Amino acid sequence: MKRHLITASALALVAGAAQAQVELKYMMWGDPPEIAVWEQLVSDFQETHPDISISVEVADWDSYWNKLRVTTAGGDAPDIFAMDAPVYPDWQSRGTLLNLQPYIDADPGALDGVYEGPLSSYALEDGYYGMPRDFQTIVLYYNTAMFDEAGLDYPDDSWTLDDLRAAAEALTIDKDGDGTIDQWGIGTEAWDMEPFWGPVVYGYGGDIISEDGSTTLLTEGAAPEAFAYVQGLFDDGLIMSEEDLDSYGWDGLYAGVAAMAFSGHWVVPAYSELDFDWAVAPFPAGPEGRATLVNSAGIVASSSTEYPDEAWEFISYVISEEGQSTLAQLGFAIPVNEAAATGPAYLEQPVEADHQLFVDALDYAHTKPSFLGYEEWSEIVGEPLSMVWRGEMSLDDAMSEIGDYADDALN
Amino acid sequence: MSVAGFSPKGGERVWAAALIFPTMVGLALGALGSIVATIGLSFFDWDLFTTPELVGLENYTDLPGDRRFMRALTNTLIFSAIYVPGTVILSMLIAVLLNRQIHGKSVFRLIYFLPVVSSPTAVGLVWSWIYSKDQGVLNAMVTGLGMEPVHWLGRDLALYSVVVVNIWGAIGEGMIIFLAGLQAIPKDVYEAAMLDGADRVRTFLRITMPLLIPSIFFQSILSTINAFQAFDYVYILTQTQGGGSTVPTLVFNLYREGFNNFRMGNAAAQAVVLAAMIMVLTLIYNRMQKKWG
Repeated sequence: MKRHLITASALALVAGAAQAQVELKYMMWGDPPEIAVWEQLVSDFQETHPDISISVEVADWDSYWNKLRVTTAGGDAPDIFAMDAPVYPDWQSRGTLLNLQPYIDADPGALDGVYEGPLSSYALEDGYYGMPRDFQTIVLYYNTAMFDEAGLDYPDDSWTLDDLRAAAEALTIDKDGDGTIDQWGIGTEAWDMEPFWGPVVYGYGGDIISEDGSTTLLTEGAAPEAFAYVQGLFDDGLIMSEEDLDSYGWDGLYAGVAAMAFSGHWVVPAYSELDFDWAVAPFPAGPEGRATLVNSAGIVASSSTEYPDEAWEFISYVISEEGQSTLAQLGFAIPVNEAAATGPAYLEQPVEADHQLFVDALDYAHTKPSFLGYEEWSEIVGEPLSMVWRGEMSLDDAMSEIGDYADDALN
Repeated sequence: MSVAGFSPKGGERVWAAALIFPTMVGLALGALGSIVATIGLSFFDWDLFTTPELVGLENYTDLPGDRRFMRALTNTLIFSAIYVPGTVILSMLIAVLLNRQIHGKSVFRLIYFLPVVSSPTAVGLVWSWIYSKDQGVLNAMVTGLGMEPVHWLGRDLALYSVVVVNIWGAIGEGMIIFLAGLQAIPKDVYEAAMLDGADRVRTFLRITMPLLIPSIFFQSILSTINAFQAFDYVYILTQTQGGGSTVPTLVFNLYREGFNNFRMGNAAAQAVVLAAMIMVLTLIYNRMQKKWG
């Protein structure tokens, strides 16, 4: 009898070991605090799925995409990886992503409770090739001590872009009188549309690209006025230049040299380690009303993965209420799962801030455009704009360059 | 003009062939293989991931209408027009100066050769700090003189700033070639000139220069190849956010086409055109050398 037991448990051990053979690689971009978040999520997942082991690999944004390109082209793509909605159509069109539609058809409950907006970013004509992992609305972060010092009222939902400019003027200070600025009003990256110029364009009543992704609309209507507003901030030194931002890291507020910054919820884990107080406010309203951008980071599986079923198991766990609650509790993202986003997991997370404000921003947010040829297009558009911000090109020249060439990258 | 000792004779030929053989095998397998693959690829439309699709000459016929390619071509031509004479003249002058009996000759030679053996990435980062608009060394001097800071790596000046770094980095290599050329010139020619009472300038123009013509042509060919292939300092000094460059050169552009925009066929066609241009220039140099020599 005893011998049987031993044999049985030995068999169980062998079976257990055999089952644990499925090893998946999950690759994502992120900052150090996010790694801990995802490792927590993976270890939760493994409690119910002991047969699947997942290794998390993290790279910074730039090296992430290079690594992904190289490994995918070399036939060694990670089984599961992070995706960004704007470039998702391109990655899908190259046949690199696993079609998730059959799994969703087999498990119709999988998408229950996922926000319609973020989900629609991943819906393609022939189904889903990825799932939104979280979403991010852009809001205004500010350093309360700097506002107190300057004797200014905190930003609130009555703020317009004019108020933003006025506050930035008061908060841009040459502290030691040596002729160089030591504290800026705004410290935000302005090459990409997402953190700053996109919301400003929409706030002025302009538009970025036509619905079908075939025509650039940046040179028409109110968009050039919006750019003139941004250019004014740069010309007067109220917003950190690319070079200053580079020398202080990625974010002027985080570096303690800028009073305000525009970002998504993704900075919250990093900001939570700051030794000064900060708070959030909605994106200031433009002449045509309040606007901001919303973007959904996603999670996809490689079309060449050996374990598509297990990859889907993990992806569906990530978007479930449980997975989303873990992500939310750890402070990084806004859950795509409504129950998680409106529940205590997100609203009562350890880092204190007005987390509700990020969800409310959905009411006036425009989805960050996503279309074929996105990367090339954003390079063609971003280069002349950043030259305008650096004072090396006139806005008119930039507009005509964008007008002439931006549509070349579109299909 | 052939220099004594440069052409192997008799038994030396066997040795020369034996010593060159391993390199030739490497070249044949490594370089030739990728050249054939690149030429083949240039007739296809391929995005790295899906099956390549044969498009014939389309990748080539598209080039004249490709604004980015034409801009890169213009940049490269201007770059070469400054870089090639700049490198040849400066490295020749420095070689002539360092060929004399002066104190600390080997230290100076070392200093000029140092950039050649340093990593371009590290050197490029140092230069990006020198050129930086607000925190740079160069602008610290400019503002110290009471002038406005200059955008060294801005759209107007970046090309020239990058050429300067490239020339500076290449002088050492050219200097070695000219030193070798100078030392191959027989001493008795100079002695005869001295006896005839020729001054320094005349000696340089009438003896040194003509006898250096093989080195000048050789160095011109090398510099032209380097100029057309300029990439490392361009990439490090002028890269903008989003993967562009304020001074895209041909190699930068084909790198971007292939690896950022996934148009491998297009990039391959650009590489073939680039190689053809270098070949034509090399042939022209060869012709000129025969005529002059």
